[in-house]
Amino acid sequence: MAVFRYPDWRWPNVSSALEDVERARRQMDRLLSVFTGGASSPTSSGVFPPLIVTEDEETINVEAEIPGIKAEDLDISVVARTLTLSGERKPEETQDVCYHRRERKWGSFRKALTLPDDVNPEAIHAECKNGMLKLILPKAEHVKPRKIVIKGE
Amino acid sequence: MADTDLQIEEKKEAQAAGESTRNVPVFIPAVDIYESENALTLVADMPGVPIENLDIDLDSDQLTIRGTVPQQEEKGKVIFKEYTFGDYYRQFSLSSDMDREKIQASMKDGVLKLVMPKAEAAKPRKITVKSS
Repeated sequence: MAVFRYPDWRWPNVSSALEDVERARRQMDRLLSVFTGGASSPTSSGVFPPLIVTEDEETINVEAEIPGIKAEDLDISVVARTLTLSGERKPEETQDVCYHRRERKWGSFRKALTLPDDVNPEAIHAECKNGMLKLILPKAEHVKPRKIVIKGE
Repeated sequence: MADTDLQIEEKKEAQAAGESTRNVPVFIPAVDIYESENALTLVADMPGVPIENLDIDLDSDQLTIRGTVPQQEEKGKVIFKEYTFGDYYRQFSLSSDMDREKIQASMKDGVLKLVMPKAEAAKPRKITVKSS
């Protein structure tokens, strides 16, 4: 006698279907980021200045493009794990001129970033060069990787 | 005081901007161009370009600005990326009435400023009417 076994089928769970779509979207973003160099817009916060944050075992490095902003017009602060960059980009002082093109933007900005680890606020190094801000934030001692030595007998 | 908030302007990639031999994107820098009585001034945002990597070329009426960024060394793991490094390239046609000998270029905080004085013949002349 043949026994038919029906598959244990049920209507797919809607929330898990949405998770699949979301996962596919993320994979597509990752694939496409090969062509855009990783700067895909969904990750951009849209707040000036644009940042690149990198991390290694010892430090967190933050770079920002801030053309035309003088070091004294820029404020950097770190409170616990929040790094705040604020300042103002001032318009050029011109008198009696007529503009042919005006594409450069000016105004004030304030951007906060949550750092991935605790940093040592005493040892932060900041430098401004060619319109680029470079911040080196050494990680706090307690989050640095520690090598464990195994003692032989 | 500025009452506007600065937004990130996504860098626009130049289309077929002179052949680049480096494998980096080429962007169009944002510029301001303004004219005063005596000069035409061009201001361009080129963050990351050191002054020695800037190439300004004036060939007949074509003004070409090219800036190359130094090679970036990869430091650790990227966790957040909102912009891409790349070179800058832009070309303008100028009217021929500039005093080519007196063009001045300066670079400060990643901003190029090019002051092109007008030739004597192109300056506005005030005509005074003498009463007899």
